[in-house]
Amino acid sequence: MSIMEYNGGSVIAMVGKECVAIACDLRLGNQALGISSKFEKIFPVTDKLYVGLPGLATDVTTLKELFRYRVNMYTIKEEREIEPDTFAHLVSSTLYERRFGPYFIEPVMAGISTTPGGKVKPFIAATDLIGCLNFAKDFVVAGTASSKLFGVAEGLWEPDLEPEDLFETISQTMLNAVDRDAYSGWGTMVYVITKDKVIQRTLKGRMD
Amino acid sequence: MASADGGAYSYSLTVFSPSGKLVQIEHALAVVAGGTTSLGIKASNGIVIATEKKTSSILIDDSMLDKVSVICPNIGIVYSGMGPDSRVLISKARKCAQAYWKMHGEYPPTRVLVQEVATIMQQATQSGGVRPYGVSLLIAGWDINRGQSLYQVDPSGSFWAWKASAIGKNMVNAKTFLEKRYNDDISLEDAIHTALLTLKEGFEGQMTEKTIEIGVVTIPTPEELELGKADAATGRPKPTFRKLTEEEVRDYLAL
Amino acid sequence: MASSVHLPTGFDFSNEIRNNFLLDKGVKLPKATSTGTTIVGCLFKDGIVLGADTRATEGPIVADKNCEKIHYISDNIRCCGAGTAADTEFTTALISSNMELHALHTGRKPRVVTAMTMLKQMLYRYQGQIGAALVLGGVDASGPNLFTVAPHGSTDKLPYVTMGSGSLAAMAVFETGWKAGLSREEALQLVKDAISAGIFNDLGSGSNVDACIITANGTEMLRNVEMPNERVQKERRYGFRRGTTAIKSETIRSLIVNEEIILPTTEAMDTS
Repeated sequence: MSIMEYNGGSVIAMVGKECVAIACDLRLGNQALGISSKFEKIFPVTDKLYVGLPGLATDVTTLKELFRYRVNMYTIKEEREIEPDTFAHLVSSTLYERRFGPYFIEPVMAGISTTPGGKVKPFIAATDLIGCLNFAKDFVVAGTASSKLFGVAEGLWEPDLEPEDLFETISQTMLNAVDRDAYSGWGTMVYVITKDKVIQRTLKGRMD
Repeated sequence: MASADGGAYSYSLTVFSPSGKLVQIEHALAVVAGGTTSLGIKASNGIVIATEKKTSSILIDDSMLDKVSVICPNIGIVYSGMGPDSRVLISKARKCAQAYWKMHGEYPPTRVLVQEVATIMQQATQSGGVRPYGVSLLIAGWDINRGQSLYQVDPSGSFWAWKASAIGKNMVNAKTFLEKRYNDDISLEDAIHTALLTLKEGFEGQMTEKTIEIGVVTIPTPEELELGKADAATGRPKPTFRKLTEEEVRDYLAL
Repeated sequence: MASSVHLPTGFDFSNEIRNNFLLDKGVKLPKATSTGTTIVGCLFKDGIVLGADTRATEGPIVADKNCEKIHYISDNIRCCGAGTAADTEFTTALISSNMELHALHTGRKPRVVTAMTMLKQMLYRYQGQIGAALVLGGVDASGPNLFTVAPHGSTDKLPYVTMGSGSLAAMAVFETGWKAGLSREEALQLVKDAISAGIFNDLGSGSNVDACIITANGTEMLRNVEMPNERVQKERRYGFRRGTTAIKSETIRSLIVNEEIILPTTEAMDTS
């Protein structure tokens, strides 16, 4: 058994047209035993930036607080909100600091930023547990269902999806992938982030 | 650093006088006031920082002297006061900038770096066994958030943002001169000339490319800004601070 | 400097005890992303050509189909990385940072040997625990320089080098095709062929070819110079009709701030 499978859980993020989506399952387990179906793994960083933390549940809580602390310190010192790419670097260097005693988390980030010219730039990124950044143009996945998510997303994702279509794509990807993962599931939560609103939806999933 | 059990030997040299003054800081300011003149002017499209580079003897090889220093691609510093002290601060500032880059993947905004340097200078006014730094700094930089900004940091660790300022020997006269000359929509080219004119007031000897140092902050074009951090060729942003070469300084002096 | 925005440098080992405890309990510690990788470099008439594939793997999974393995050290020096992806990324970033400080301090253009020495000293200090296998190349005052740096800190200086899991395939190409005094075009083609050999014959390497040409006149980064594995346009759309997914609950947070300006109502002046 790998420590990454101890509590179970998965996260996925996708890019759409001037929008991004990020989704997680809601299961918290103790190996095969289900504990909770309300364990959210996605946390807000700023209004337009969210981070998903799948992995060992104790580290989910620890890292959520650590990132909250570091982002708050950044906001106070710089008197501005953190940009998605800057946050990605912050996550990456925070994890690499513990290269030889890592947190068992593979963060996934999704957010949007605006260029000085006013263009909306979708942003997604993921890192491995020691902070190697992966800036993908399409989708990123992590967690116990990652291998299944890769497969489904590779088949379903297409470029320039409108927010509502992106929602359907990410939801169906997540629901179908976690159905083939014993350690993920028990409901799904989806965030679709556009330049003027954030839509949060909970989905019905299999409860077995 | 004062040791916890250092007892009577670890008293700081910077103790308040009964009148509420820290004489060591005042002495440090006196060192700065005796140093060569440096100035900075914020223009509508950049910043210029300039200084007079004076040597006590013609026999000194001045090609090794640097008074305007690059800290990171978007920030530069010029100092007045003690050269050796400035080198320590410059080196610390550069390390701060690199540490910030390693953490955030971008260079620090000017204000953050100024705060860092100011903190280092303040610490020397409150620690045992050390003396304050005998320099004032003018820090010029550009960042996406606040654009071009010019700061002055004093030995006490206090700092201000300026539109134009001068430090060192002729600072009072220079500031009066700048007050007369300055306007909010001055261009960088005009600012460089104003900087040279200001230095000329009270300049002893000949102003040449050997006795003047200039650093400029330029602002990126809207296209470069739109590209963001990634410049196509290097994957890094184009530097916004640079020192003018001797040839460039000579050209400005000739005008 | 306790007050600094940056934290103390170096690694934090405070999770070691817990993680070793878990290890003793029989749990397997997870794998980090690695770059199976084919990376190469070769000398030519006027400089150096570096090359890399763009696949990152996590065990048998392709984690990133188009990652960048040619890292920036300075304007005239680049470094290709193979091995643990995070290690190559952070090691090259650290050396790049130290090279910039070194350049500002000395006021000279940095040399390739300086970067090589910094890298080997750091990697030796960590006794191979930092899994970075590197190809370092650049042009400086002494001319073109090409090195490999192994994870334990040993280095080689050779006219043509390959590293990573695809190094054998790539070296086969170099051994047949490389000769002294190649032209720029010939060298670039040879590097493309060497990387392609890795992409098609080594499972750890894949996707596209990145190349970088460094001469005394400047550095040219050729990102995705060859894309032999481009995904074809899907024949049909697989999008779901809106409303396919059953929603249990929905919360919408508007990011638009609606401001209503209420002008102060004019009251008659109190004249009493």
